[in-house]
Amino acid sequence: MRRGNSLVYLTLLVSLVLSVFPLYWLFVVATRSNDVIGQMPPPLVPGGNLAENVRRLFGAEQANFALGLINSMIASIAVTVSVVFFSSLAGFAFAKLRFRGRNALLLTVLATMMVPVQMGIVPLYMVMVKLGWQNQLQAVIVPFLVSAFGVFLMRQYAERAVPDELIEAARLDGCSTFGLFVRVVSPALRPGAAVLGLFTFMSTWNEFLWPLAILEADNPTVQFSLSQLATQYYTDYTLMFSGTLIATVPLLVVFILFGRQIVSGIMDGAVRS
Amino acid sequence: MRLGKALAVTVATALLAVGCGGNATDDAAGGTVTLTVKTFGQFGYDDLVTQYEGSHPGIKIKQENIAKLADYTPKLQQWLTAGSGAGDVVALEEGILVKLMGKPDQFVNLLDQGAGDLKANFLEWKWNQALTPDGKKLVGLGTDIGAQGMCYRTDLFAKAGLPTDRAKVGELWPTWDGYLATGKRFAAAGAGVSFFDTAGPVYQNILMQQGDQTYFDRENKLIVDTNPGVRTAWDQTIKMIDAGLSGKIQMWSPAWNAGFKQGSFATIPCPAWMLGVIKDQAGPENAGKWDVARVPGEGAVRGGSFLAVPAQSKHPKEAAELAKFLTNPAGQTAAFKAKNNFPSSPQAIDDPAVSSAVNTYFNNAPVGKIFGQSAKSLQPVYLGPDNQVVGDGIGDALTAVEQGKLKPDEAWTKAISDAKRAVEK
Amino acid sequence: MHGSPYLFIAPFFVLFALFGFFPLLYTAWVSLRSWDLTGDAGFVGLANYSRLLSDPDFWNAMLNTVGLFVLSTVPQLFFALVIAGLLNRPIRALMLFRLGVLAPIVTSVAAVAIVFGQLYSRDAGLVNGVLGLFDVGPIDWQASKGSSWIAVASMVNWRWTGYNALIYLAAIQAIPKDLYEAAQLDGAGAIKQFRAITVPLIRPALIFTVVMSTIGGMQLFTEPLLFGQGDISGGSLRQFQTVAMYMFEQSFQNFDYGYGSAIAWMIFLLTVVAGIANALIARRLRGGTQ
Repeated sequence: MRRGNSLVYLTLLVSLVLSVFPLYWLFVVATRSNDVIGQMPPPLVPGGNLAENVRRLFGAEQANFALGLINSMIASIAVTVSVVFFSSLAGFAFAKLRFRGRNALLLTVLATMMVPVQMGIVPLYMVMVKLGWQNQLQAVIVPFLVSAFGVFLMRQYAERAVPDELIEAARLDGCSTFGLFVRVVSPALRPGAAVLGLFTFMSTWNEFLWPLAILEADNPTVQFSLSQLATQYYTDYTLMFSGTLIATVPLLVVFILFGRQIVSGIMDGAVRS
Repeated sequence: MRLGKALAVTVATALLAVGCGGNATDDAAGGTVTLTVKTFGQFGYDDLVTQYEGSHPGIKIKQENIAKLADYTPKLQQWLTAGSGAGDVVALEEGILVKLMGKPDQFVNLLDQGAGDLKANFLEWKWNQALTPDGKKLVGLGTDIGAQGMCYRTDLFAKAGLPTDRAKVGELWPTWDGYLATGKRFAAAGAGVSFFDTAGPVYQNILMQQGDQTYFDRENKLIVDTNPGVRTAWDQTIKMIDAGLSGKIQMWSPAWNAGFKQGSFATIPCPAWMLGVIKDQAGPENAGKWDVARVPGEGAVRGGSFLAVPAQSKHPKEAAELAKFLTNPAGQTAAFKAKNNFPSSPQAIDDPAVSSAVNTYFNNAPVGKIFGQSAKSLQPVYLGPDNQVVGDGIGDALTAVEQGKLKPDEAWTKAISDAKRAVEK
Repeated sequence: MHGSPYLFIAPFFVLFALFGFFPLLYTAWVSLRSWDLTGDAGFVGLANYSRLLSDPDFWNAMLNTVGLFVLSTVPQLFFALVIAGLLNRPIRALMLFRLGVLAPIVTSVAAVAIVFGQLYSRDAGLVNGVLGLFDVGPIDWQASKGSSWIAVASMVNWRWTGYNALIYLAAIQAIPKDLYEAAQLDGAGAIKQFRAITVPLIRPALIFTVVMSTIGGMQLFTEPLLFGQGDISGGSLRQFQTVAMYMFEQSFQNFDYGYGSAIAWMIFLLTVVAGIANALIARRLRGGTQ
């Protein structure tokens, strides 16, 4: 039994190191000066330049980094809350409610995910022009308030995590469908919702192509802002990585917050009890 | 309740977002006209813009800049396709301008705005690039040009027994044959590093010196396979690859960036803007080790930009005036002083601020003179709208030869057939 | 019945109608026209599609996409399953490990490009260095299909394994504990329990990740682009250019918008076909009773 455990730890440790190394390297570069970029073997010890690099970062006018952070915060929170809520509703409906055309509609949702993103940019831009939303933050929020991926993920959890017996029991008690959703289904969906929330926050935070298309450099989101730190010909990596490091902190915070939810995902009031 | 809270948060943040989006509304209210200038990279217009606003009350200028050209180009495409967003003055890189010349009425004809008087302010070949073949429409006014020198490592040359003084080095290669011979000498001396980084830019330089057209004739017919100039440039480059002169390092890759400091290659064709890159990458400890000599052959320029006024602009007249201001000799000199963008205006090139510019990092090389000479010797070359596609294909073919994936003849055949396929559509 | 189910799914479809449907239709309409940067030259029917079918570069991109998909999905989902299983155990520093395997998704794209660019560098890369210890190489990773596929697949696997592990973990957590207890009493060891109980019971999650990976795989764009240091043509001979990259090249670099739109629709069809096929395959995976 001990041996088995060592193997488990070893595997996990190796996975951990492999996963974390580039992030750690990012941190090291952010604390050093630019000459370490091309070094082989790569530097492993952090330096003392972080404060200096961060000062330069917030002073870089063309990047508007502080505004980028704020805009991304607003956008990511809004989209995450909305996506989790509406995807839970729809996912639950697709999983547990019977209605006509359910399968066809579900396939439609799936199909919407199969459209390559890059193609949507020009026509979506045209829609934004009509709405007068160029260079406005709502342009990076509203189109993403629901997500097909979210619907699918929540449907899959709902199928598994919400036993039919529980629903039957609640209905017998006279629960409306919506009441059922709120009281019975939502708690059961929590691990799934945590996962979805995490992923949604992350993907909104990391989104680059669409904000680049619809916003300008004076009203950026954080990834757009970071890209403005490069000049056409030369990239000051310490600057960019300092920004990236700071931009990563909110993600880590969200991780830790949601991470607990996933850990404590045991269903309350399991049927068998 | 969880539900209520969630809804409230969504609505609140959405409202916040709507409230916070600051949109600079346009003009007319107080008689002020706001002109939007869209640029990429660093054109160095900040002081000029302030100056113009000062002398033109009633005009406000908003600059919108995207740092990288690769990020700017898709936005340009979407602005033109959607018919909105291109602003009043828009920067066009040479490769894209050439494509857009296929449909010049997406832009205001600057000849209608009195630009014809300014012809003498620009190098002839630069002026002609933005002029339609029938001479009736001028799409853009030239800004900077990628005038070339040949940067080299004095210490590596010394080790190989080659001269290090830039005048003497320039005498080593009045032609590309001379460059090839020098390269062979360098390789034979066994320094263990390559003579140049990668073959593509070398090929490009040779090509632009081979006459007044490259892949297309003036009727836009594809002549890549019949134009002897193209074949000459190709063969010359292949000779250099065969002689083992190429480091086969992809431009802008981490290995390329590190190569300046490590001395992985002894020479590199360098446009004016690359001097800054070299200085930053090689670091202060290598100051004085890099120098600039003339480029082989007569005249070498790679790239450059223009300013145009999109037809969708609501203030074409004012926009044209602004574009003329930014690209006049004084404007170009100012941009050079601000961001080292080499001017396309002969008057600016001769301006003492430009012509006597020296670069301390490069052994006080008189870069103003070297690049100026290079720019003025270039003869006009007609490129054609699909120039970039064909050029990329040949570039890829050369890389394939460097990688040893294709033999030179196979690569040539492939490049030609790819070009034909791309053009025929 | 209170609260019609249609109301539950309406928000999705309403927003999609506004922001998703129009781009879809527009792209389809553009694909039937000859449209490049010189403007819309008019209706040409299916000409773009027939050009596509005889375009060797397109089929090359398809081959690359499928090859990359296999190399990046199969090992990845397998490892994700293993890691999820390991993370489900009562081990110490659990939170650290769980968060740690998610680090790749948080790592910025610029950092990934540089790190992997150096790993796979021909002259001074770490991988070639290690291979050199075994007298192999040096390999020019970008030069051949095989080597570039392995390199790109490793980038994709590095980035997404943790993500899928998390999805599996959440699904595993929903399995009632007493099933394991019963199996333990019957004398089943850890691996047997995994195969007989865990895998079958998370089958919906498996199907889900297979379908999601398929969609992601058909649309693979970022990792090969990073590997080539921003070269949209994916190598000197398009060794690792995917269909999404080809579409981007045609639309936004060559400005052939009509042709690019046709490619986009072909990607869509490809994704639908591949998605259905893989979902059916995953459905057939049975790991035992229950």
